[in-house]
Amino acid sequence: MMRYLLKRLFWMVPLLVGISLISFLIMHLAPGDITTTEAAFNPKASEESREKLRKLYHLDEPVIKQYGYWLERMVKLDFGNSFASHQRPVFWEKQDEHGNVQKGLIQDALPVTLLINVLSLVLIIVAALPLGVLSALYHNKPADRGITVFVFVGFAVPGFWLALMMMYWLGVAHNWLPISGLHSLGHEKMGWFGQLWDYFRHLAIPVFISALGGLAGISLFVKNGMLDVLHQDYITTARAKGLPENTVVYRHALRNAMLPLITLLGLSIPGLIGGSVIAESLFAIPGMGKLFYDAVLMRDFPVIMGILTIGAALTLVGNLLADVAYAWADPRVRRGVMH
Amino acid sequence: MPRALCIGILLALLAACGSNNAPPANLDAAFPPESGGTMVDAMSGEPSGLIPMIAGESAASAVASHIFNSLLKYDRNLELEGELAKSWDVSPDQRTITFHLKPDLKWADGQALTSEDVLFTWKLVTDDKTRTPYGADYKLVEKAEAPDALTFKVTYGQPYAPALDSWAGLQVLPKHLLQGQDINNTPFARNPIGSSYYKLDEWKNGERISLVRNDHSVLGPPRIDRLVSRFIPDPASQFLELMADNIDVMNLNPIQYARIVPARPQLNKRIALYKELGNGYTYLGFNLKHAPFDDVRVRRAINYAIDKQELIDGVLLGLGEPIAAPYKPGTRWVNPQLKPYPYDPNKAKQLLKEAGFEDHDGDGILDRDGKPLSFEILTNQNKQREMSAVLIQRRLKEIGIDVKIRVLEWASFLGRYIKTGDFDVVVLGWSLSLDPDQFSIWHSSQNKPGQFNFINYNNPQVDKLLEQGRLELDPDKRMKIYHEFSRLLLEDSPVVYLFEGYGLPAISKRIRGIDNPAPPAGIGWNSEQWYIPTPLRRTEISDR
Amino acid sequence: MKAVLQNQLARWGFAIILTILILALLAPLIAPYDPDAIDVKSILLAPSSAHWMGTDGLGRDVFSRMLFGARISLLVGFVAVGIATVIGVILGAIAGFYRGWVDVLIMRLVDVMLSIPTFFLILAVIAFLSPSIWNIMVVIGLTSWMGVTRLVRAEFLSLREREYVLSAQTLGAKNGRLIFRHLLPNSLTPIIVSFVLGVASAVLVESGLSFLGLGVQPPQASWGNILTDGKEYIEFAWWLSLFPGLAILLTVLGYNLLGEGLRDALDPRSAKINA
Repeated sequence: MMRYLLKRLFWMVPLLVGISLISFLIMHLAPGDITTTEAAFNPKASEESREKLRKLYHLDEPVIKQYGYWLERMVKLDFGNSFASHQRPVFWEKQDEHGNVQKGLIQDALPVTLLINVLSLVLIIVAALPLGVLSALYHNKPADRGITVFVFVGFAVPGFWLALMMMYWLGVAHNWLPISGLHSLGHEKMGWFGQLWDYFRHLAIPVFISALGGLAGISLFVKNGMLDVLHQDYITTARAKGLPENTVVYRHALRNAMLPLITLLGLSIPGLIGGSVIAESLFAIPGMGKLFYDAVLMRDFPVIMGILTIGAALTLVGNLLADVAYAWADPRVRRGVMH
Repeated sequence: MPRALCIGILLALLAACGSNNAPPANLDAAFPPESGGTMVDAMSGEPSGLIPMIAGESAASAVASHIFNSLLKYDRNLELEGELAKSWDVSPDQRTITFHLKPDLKWADGQALTSEDVLFTWKLVTDDKTRTPYGADYKLVEKAEAPDALTFKVTYGQPYAPALDSWAGLQVLPKHLLQGQDINNTPFARNPIGSSYYKLDEWKNGERISLVRNDHSVLGPPRIDRLVSRFIPDPASQFLELMADNIDVMNLNPIQYARIVPARPQLNKRIALYKELGNGYTYLGFNLKHAPFDDVRVRRAINYAIDKQELIDGVLLGLGEPIAAPYKPGTRWVNPQLKPYPYDPNKAKQLLKEAGFEDHDGDGILDRDGKPLSFEILTNQNKQREMSAVLIQRRLKEIGIDVKIRVLEWASFLGRYIKTGDFDVVVLGWSLSLDPDQFSIWHSSQNKPGQFNFINYNNPQVDKLLEQGRLELDPDKRMKIYHEFSRLLLEDSPVVYLFEGYGLPAISKRIRGIDNPAPPAGIGWNSEQWYIPTPLRRTEISDR
Repeated sequence: MKAVLQNQLARWGFAIILTILILALLAPLIAPYDPDAIDVKSILLAPSSAHWMGTDGLGRDVFSRMLFGARISLLVGFVAVGIATVIGVILGAIAGFYRGWVDVLIMRLVDVMLSIPTFFLILAVIAFLSPSIWNIMVVIGLTSWMGVTRLVRAEFLSLREREYVLSAQTLGAKNGRLIFRHLLPNSLTPIIVSFVLGVASAVLVESGLSFLGLGVQPPQASWGNILTDGKEYIEFAWWLSLFPGLAILLTVLGYNLLGEGLRDALDPRSAKINA
């Protein structure tokens, strides 16, 4: 097991280098750089000043050399600073020589995105388990069909359309929920419960929308897992022993059906840090999706690379964790992965 | 079923605790001016910092304009007047300008604001180490000095007519806080101290900036206590926020302005609509290096073939004006004799025939020497420009020109096409500056990659006028120069002026004191006089 | 196929898809107007007998644009997923059949591709190539083959160990014959299922790209860009977002139901369950 782990970890290094190189090349494939986008069409802005910037950021040098600079910094775990005029650190806060601290861009955006994604994942699981189990128990009966259609509708509805309709219905027509943002204007003056409630109200629609889209995948997964398990010999045995149906279903069947879910959850770890640009723009939530999208549009290379690298590393770790967790949970597989 | 019940209960709970902005007292009653209250608006982008010369984006200048002052400013009729300066004189040789500052000016932290600060700011903006794109105007100053605390004097190598305009654009920064700092990367950018009506109260990353009244304001106190700008990237969400009465100010698009608000009595009761002259115009520009656009007959033909009124009706729902010169309608720089090219497809066809374009092969598309008259219109992701391109495509097809449209993301558009000159026709916009000098856009020397004459316009006569206009400080003589310049430009038709769209602000009726109808400078010129009567204030934000 | 149609949900899905396909194919015959015919005098008209689905911001007939948009949206789905499937099947087959270092290499490539956000790839490539339907299809295709690759590889790995394949191999069957006669036909089920489900996702991706302004170029209509045009007037010009929204919903739903039905019907495991 240990050797396997080490081998997988060792593989991650060349993979990460490969991913970063490919990302770097793709990024430079797209025309334009930060100097074309900043103050681009202001007649008062001069080309010399842009040339100056280009030199400062080494944008005038060959791509492969620029990649070299970037890699050199990465070895020291320095994600660099944004090219945008605020020059904030890409990843985490840094202190300059005067003792001023600047917060990192990812440091600001990540908690928000993480919060929304974790909440929506929890919501998905809470909803998917009963839906999946019911679907399996009433396989091919109206209840199953109803659930299947429902979760597929959730997947199929264009998210931004539903989001806008809910914003209109709940926010404008009824004034029940805030439309966008994370905090009300008077947030600071609320008590802790008031603040929590305020968060909850702001996050309700975004989390719901995000969960709705992911519900189909997980609930079908649970359903298929249950269907497989329900026809295994040991379930038949348990039934034959005269155990109550509830015990059979929840104690024996569900537990086994949930095994593969662990893998799925491991695989969804990297997804947790990626926000959706569309949702974040609509709800005015300053998360990772918007940060990344804006960086791409601005050609803010250090930010793009920072997010891609962290995302890639997390994906690889997530894959590994999923495999390990699954192996740990199921001794049959544990032997399998060793080969 | 229990699930539905849960959701129902949840919604009921949410509803119970929702901040119900019950419509406040009578929104149409008259109220006397008073101080206090909070105004909330929305911005689609977050400023990168609040030092305007460094930040550059429009969001930054919008916020910074509440915090900093310049030596001069434009008044309600777009004439220059003093802001930090009490007065200014121009020397007889027209090379030296002396500004006399108002006495007892103070920064928001109570320190004195003097000519030293102005000099310091000039040094900053012209310093090669400062990462600003705006240095060019100020580098023409040969000598800048501050002989005493209230006098600031600049001397140019030769007379420079746009100079005064440039001093209305340079916001003065405090020397005592910025000296010795790296202006490109200073905490001051996120924690600025200025001299104008407001000072920064709080900046919540990605969410909002709030400003609070500056008691040391050099222009006297504003009436509204706090300005909150929320960052809401999507215009659809912004409009929903306006409908829900969560923001007070928003710039509408023509459909919202002309169709939605009037059709919604609820909205109509709460929101007042204003209309102001736009700050820019949309045009169709030809790459004059590419055939057949080097032929003035082809350019004029296309100009005749485009129905500008249709564009204004279709894209702006009538909320805009056709223009014949690149200046703000109603200002002195507009030559009243010039009229836009009328829509005249027959004349267009005739001009094209003169240029050699006829449908020889009978495929419905004009051709010359076996080559069909066909090109691509490039534009960026901007709804109005896209719609204009679609309308133009249809009109040009009618006279036998085959047009394709390509919509690009901004950075690729600039990097791949504009900078390299690899385009035929673009639909873009220019903003309208208040000074008539447009040297950088039309002078033939300004056509290198990255410069603004990317359509390669080259007319020696125009070049000469543009050079003259920069040297002439006398407004009347200057006016004649630019009238003549506009005439030549219209005749050459290097661009087709499509329209100048109105600014369409919608403002909650709780905000009072707004100048309506809007003066030439727009409604914002006296925003410090706006006020919010106490009974109309938002209940959920208490004043400090 | 018969087995599939015995599944009620799959039947609905099939019916939905078939209806939309027919409408798309017959668009020029059914559409009451030229989809690109502009009329600035009838901007944003509500649905009426003259315009069944109202008109858009340039006075174009939304019903006609929906019909022609269906062609684009469906085409994007089919071609994009077709490209992804071809790439995925080839790479997956090679990896699963030859194993060894080729397998390792291909699977690491899959890992790499999965680690780069699809949206970023699409954005960068479209920025470079400029958006057009063909580029959009190619890009979606080039960035979504990884799932199929994994699927086919896993299928091949397990099939290879089956007796009939082993015996064919000992009888001296060539690799090509093995792959095309024995392995591929037996992996067809999951490939078809993933194709059908992939088309559903591609239709959604297209609408997302339109939201970001990277979709099909004007004046061409697609459901995604009609919906995006309508997003600012969601409660006022509701017809501009309702119809394309529903169309996308129904299509994606249809493909999903069909895909699930196929899986249920063709999967030997669930066949056993149904029995």
